[in-house]
Amino acid sequence: MTTLAASPPRRRRSVAARTWAFVKRHALTVYAVLVVGYLMLPIAVVILFSFNHPTGRFNYLWNEFTFENWLHWNDVLGIQDAIITSLEVGLLATLVATALGTLMAMAIVRHRFVGRGATNLLVFLPMSTPEIVLGASLLTLFLNTTAIFQLGFITIFIAHVMFIVSFVVVTVKARLIGFDRHLEEAAMDLGANEATTFRKVTLPLIAPAMVAAALLGFALSIDDFVITYFNAGGTQTFPIFVWGIARVAVPPQVNVIASAIFIVAIAIALTNVFWEYRSAKRTRGAT
Amino acid sequence: MNPRLTRNELLRRGAAGGALLAFPSLLAACGGGGGDSGSGGEVNDVLNFGNWPFYIDTPASLKAAGVTAPTTLAQFTTKTGIKVNYYEDINSNSEYFATVQGRLRNGDGIGRDIIVSTDNDRYLSEYLNNDWALKLDKDLIPNIANLIHAQASPPFDPNREYTLPWFSGMDGIAWNEKITGPVTTVTQLLTDPKLKGRVGVWNSMGDTLGLIMLENGDDPAKVTDESFDRAIAVVQKAQDAGQIRKFYGNDYAQPLAKGDLAASMAWSGDIFLLADPNVKWGIAKTGGILFTDNMLIPLGGSVPTASTFMNFVYDPTIAAQLALGAGYISSVAGVKEEAAKLNADAADNTLVFPTDEMLGQLHQNDPTMFSNPEYEKKWLAVQGK
Amino acid sequence: MGTFFHRHRGATPYLLLAPGVLWLAIFFLIPLGFLGYQSLQSGFFPNFEFTWQFSNFSDGIRDYHTQLVRSFVYAGIATVACLVLAYPLVYWIAFRAGPWRNLFLLFIVAPFFVTYLVRTLAWLNILADEGPVVGILKTLHILGPDGRLLATTFAVVSGITYNFFPFMALPIYVSLEQMDARLLEAAKDLYASPTQAFIRVTLPLSAPGIVAGTLLTFIPAAGDFINAALLGTPNQAMIGNVIQSKFLESLDYPSAAALSFLLMGLILVALLVYAKIVGSERLTG
Repeated sequence: MTTLAASPPRRRRSVAARTWAFVKRHALTVYAVLVVGYLMLPIAVVILFSFNHPTGRFNYLWNEFTFENWLHWNDVLGIQDAIITSLEVGLLATLVATALGTLMAMAIVRHRFVGRGATNLLVFLPMSTPEIVLGASLLTLFLNTTAIFQLGFITIFIAHVMFIVSFVVVTVKARLIGFDRHLEEAAMDLGANEATTFRKVTLPLIAPAMVAAALLGFALSIDDFVITYFNAGGTQTFPIFVWGIARVAVPPQVNVIASAIFIVAIAIALTNVFWEYRSAKRTRGAT
Repeated sequence: MNPRLTRNELLRRGAAGGALLAFPSLLAACGGGGGDSGSGGEVNDVLNFGNWPFYIDTPASLKAAGVTAPTTLAQFTTKTGIKVNYYEDINSNSEYFATVQGRLRNGDGIGRDIIVSTDNDRYLSEYLNNDWALKLDKDLIPNIANLIHAQASPPFDPNREYTLPWFSGMDGIAWNEKITGPVTTVTQLLTDPKLKGRVGVWNSMGDTLGLIMLENGDDPAKVTDESFDRAIAVVQKAQDAGQIRKFYGNDYAQPLAKGDLAASMAWSGDIFLLADPNVKWGIAKTGGILFTDNMLIPLGGSVPTASTFMNFVYDPTIAAQLALGAGYISSVAGVKEEAAKLNADAADNTLVFPTDEMLGQLHQNDPTMFSNPEYEKKWLAVQGK
Repeated sequence: MGTFFHRHRGATPYLLLAPGVLWLAIFFLIPLGFLGYQSLQSGFFPNFEFTWQFSNFSDGIRDYHTQLVRSFVYAGIATVACLVLAYPLVYWIAFRAGPWRNLFLLFIVAPFFVTYLVRTLAWLNILADEGPVVGILKTLHILGPDGRLLATTFAVVSGITYNFFPFMALPIYVSLEQMDARLLEAAKDLYASPTQAFIRVTLPLSAPGIVAGTLLTFIPAAGDFINAALLGTPNQAMIGNVIQSKFLESLDYPSAAALSFLLMGLILVALLVYAKIVGSERLTG
């Protein structure tokens, strides 16, 4: 009986076995990279062709590199109005929807009241209704109340708030559920009244969720086509403009605007990530 | 109205207009030729004109056509002092109608003095039949006399009281030379197996079925249930065989140039603007359809202002410039001769100035076809909708 | 306790809810009511009359059952495709990405930041008949010489998959991320193989995310019409295309309204069946 080596004799694994182990270990990583490539491919195409100087009206063959499209981004009739309208509606609708949604989330999470289930259902329904039904039904309302509602900026704004609110409620709710009420109670014990508690304890703690909800809402608003399409009247948001011009020929400036939105969004997201990383580091450093 | 008075006025204004056009610097001083004696309402200092994209002359297209004058809109503003807000937001008759019909139904304006709608679609008739268009002030449009005879009395507006043609176009067949030889008949387009899956047709009933009816030997201007069904059957057969790739609106031009389509039913103006040497166009052997986009004044528009503009563009010289710059067919008499003065070579382009022989091959659609719900249903069904 | 909320317990929740609920009631519920009213109308534009026209519904089923079924089939395939594609990616991000985690999450969400239409149009470019992708596939004989990718069912379903991918990926990520890694350690300690650990620990714990993801993907996909319009032929027309056409081309509002309700109704039925299978608390949270 040997008492020397407690571990069994190690034979050198074959090349095949080692390769297979290597593949198994990294297969998932390779897969992840491939899928990300698939996701980013159209974006790369969009950004690339925003720098293209097309030979004719159509921007599908690479011709030559130019900065002209970025410099003269508003050369195309209607594109500037469209993107400005999109931004205005987005900002306004996001503000209102975030406010309404946060209030609703607070009510739903912190109180037991008659109708809580029904409210939950009401919030859930718009998210589970296909956009075409949302858009068409809203149009029906507006067409039957033309004395009050004229199709245009206002109706787009109303439609956007309507479908963003649900997403805000769900996002803020998730954060509120994990919220530690004891923090508020502690503040009260230390002499703060309700308003001060709300301002100095509650609000800062749910602020990240509100910001996340607002960002999500803004993204949904800027990108929305179907609901806006039915309810815009003659007003054009950027997606509606693209749909219209795509019937004929998509000018490179459309790629420019789309790329610009993308870059700004990524920048905001990166800033958010960086900020969280910094504040996490700070709290870790403080403890 | 006293005809003699009209003719006198016509001569006077024609002379004044001609003189004014020749001396732009005098225009501002003279303060415009017409409009002050307009009936009912003042001429505004702004005109809101909603149109299709690529449907007017631009500095670039005029340069390409060898025309040195300023654009039509610029000249109009110089001549009359009326600023033009030009909107290119009409991409589809049906979609545009959908966005405006709510307001029009309510009796409200849509922020436009002139819009443009196509005659071989139901929507032009909808505007007129629902009283959503305002009558033109013909006193302000003496140049209406320049309207060619063929367009003088269309079935939807027999006395030209509400509409005037903006541009016409020809329905024909285009093909990509890099992929296929000439495609000259509708039958070849819809049955040639070499083209399978790379053929485009329009989603517009009048255009597609019109060409097919001509191929079937039927008259598209007098549609019967039988001729309609015969045409639908042809489309259905092609669709079932996988011959048709898609039912397009204006968006067939890019796939055709790209090579996704080998051949397609195509409008003359699109091919002219495409200016791709590999893409050729011709009228089908059994004939083509002539469609006309018409200007009309929607509710809430200013009749005097709009009428002044319409008069301006019915001047042959302006009309010639428009035709050369946009690539579509004008309905103004004498336009080819004026174009020749601006650019002799361009005036020979038969896509923009069709010969009488070509015009003889062109037919118009029967407007009653578009307001028939049964027909509409069958047409949508063949498109999968 | 004496907090603000407790003292005014009765009215507070209702006050907080009022603005939001009012907005949804006026601009979501009432429009649905109008839609319902319109679905029972008949007549031709613009003179519609309320005539209890239930035949709008039966006619809708009779004439467009193909498109209805097709929409659900396409949405279903796309949802499954999203799930299969997304799960490994999200698993990797949650457990193996380490410091790159946020970056890859950004990659998932990024397509969302490019306008829906623009990114779908980009696919028109990428999958063009004379383009590189089709060229490679033809060289590899995966596609015949007459083959094409665009204007096919494949293109439409792929478009739907691509466009709704983040809706599937993110909920699954959230539930995977919340998972306590020690559970996996415990499983290993109990001699579970990695596969067993996955199937019996990870997968069930990520179930809420999968449920949420499938819902957020399937429901909008069923009503989509843009992918079918841009990437397909009439043989790929979905019920969304029919509804759009009825509203905007035929001006046949009653039929369009009836079809919209049919679509919603079918989705609700599918939802109920799904809820029975997975348990209803997971749905409304």
